Amino acid sequence: MARLCNVLINPVVIAKNSKMKIKYSGIGPLLLPFALKSEKALTGFFFKINCMKYLSFIFLMILISSCWKINIHPDYGPVPKVWGNKPVFAAVDAAKKILYDPVKHSLINAGNIYVFENTIFQVDVGRGIHVIDNSVPSDAHRIGFITINGCEQVSIRGSYLYTNSYTDLVTIDISDPVNMKIVNTIPNAFPDMWISYPMFEPEESGYYECNAFRTDSVVVGWVKDSIPQGCYKN
Amino acid sequence: MKISILSKMLLFLSPIIFLCACEKNSVSNNGAAQTGKGGSITRFTIAKNYLYVVSNHFLNVYSLSDPAKPRQVHTSDLNYDIETIYPYGNYLFLGTRTGLYIYSIDTASSPSLIGEAKHARSCDPVVVNDSVAFVTLKSSSGCGPAEAGLYIHDIADINHPVLKKTIPLPDPMGLGIQDSILYVCCGSAGMKVFNVKDPYSPTLISTQADGKYLDVIPYNGILICNDEEGIILYDIHDPAKPALIKKIS
Repeated sequence: MARLCNVLINPVVIAKNSKMKIKYSGIGPLLLPFALKSEKALTGFFFKINCMKYLSFIFLMILISSCWKINIHPDYGPVPKVWGNKPVFAAVDAAKKILYDPVKHSLINAGNIYVFENTIFQVDVGRGIHVIDNSVPSDAHRIGFITINGCEQVSIRGSYLYTNSYTDLVTIDISDPVNMKIVNTIPNAFPDMWISYPMFEPEESGYYECNAFRTDSVVVGWVKDSIPQGCYKN
Repeated sequence: MKISILSKMLLFLSPIIFLCACEKNSVSNNGAAQTGKGGSITRFTIAKNYLYVVSNHFLNVYSLSDPAKPRQVHTSDLNYDIETIYPYGNYLFLGTRTGLYIYSIDTASSPSLIGEAKHARSCDPVVVNDSVAFVTLKSSSGCGPAEAGLYIHDIADINHPVLKKTIPLPDPMGLGIQDSILYVCCGSAGMKVFNVKDPYSPTLISTQADGKYLDVIPYNGILICNDEEGIILYDIHDPAKPALIKKIS
């Protein structure tokens, strides 16, 4: 770094008053406008400047500028960045596991409802199914939540709950509420099922990153980030 | 002597055998008790021991003879954007973006189209009572330009449903029916309670305004309403007068 400094800065010795002519090289000529701003700085500017600090600053700016990399679209040129939603992916195996939590969860996105004897089931679109104890309606309350990513539908017969996890048809044994388990999955049973959340677009309106369909992972949520301007949801 | 003892035993046991047989029959025929009830906005429904699923274009039929392992027995590629499915008796009513389609499930494993009532592009759940089909059409959020409201069809001739009455309503969604009372969810505009004893001249009894209503299930004297923030329960032992029991958030 020091040697580099010598090479770069040394030639930029300007003595205006003595009308010395100096051989310019390196980045000297670029710094000239700064140098001419004040006479006082003239002689001192390039001698006093801490070359190392200056170079470090330049390298830092080069590093930071990569954050401001602008996407170049092959046909339309540079694509500006906007603040929007970016998909969060999870490996398919992890995303399609189900989990029963015997505590009340908050409802985020009310979906379909289904009633079976003394229990009401309410889908939380894309997330799972809320379980509500209705044995005493005046005291009906949420008792648990079944996490099923990509869930939108529900139907029950006997001790089996039929639902979807993305485009799979999933059968869950609910005979023991504490130990719910998937007993059967028909993968990709409904390839054309319109599942609005969370697969293709976020719940809220605004810009979001359009995502190509992947076979090894699925979208499980969305986070705010700086994204290339692209898809927009009204 | 042996015969007389045997006949006495049979005589003694026959009522018990008869009763047991009856009970067995009632359990196997009363599938509805084991199935529960869904709302009018759903893509899954169970009828006659089959699970019927509608995706955007397909009607898939799964046998539940082994309930732990649904087995696909049929699929139909239908040329319309399907939104909802509602079972009633020997029929399936499919709400689609271009109309109401009626399928027969006389052969439960293989539904066949028997009637249709087209409408302008819209989203439409449907419920059925006797020979009347009640459909709500919604026009906002990408559903289509049809006029939003309650559309009432005469389906006495199931092969030829006839639109008989239209009532404009603010973006109606799910609906439910109990006896002669129809409940129509209209989001933040409330839940409209109609007397449909004369189905083609419904009278508005009241509008419930306890939430933003999306869908509704009348079940065992309780009206379970799907609200944007949770569930709202009403007592409907008198179906015309829903009495608020609880709001579950």
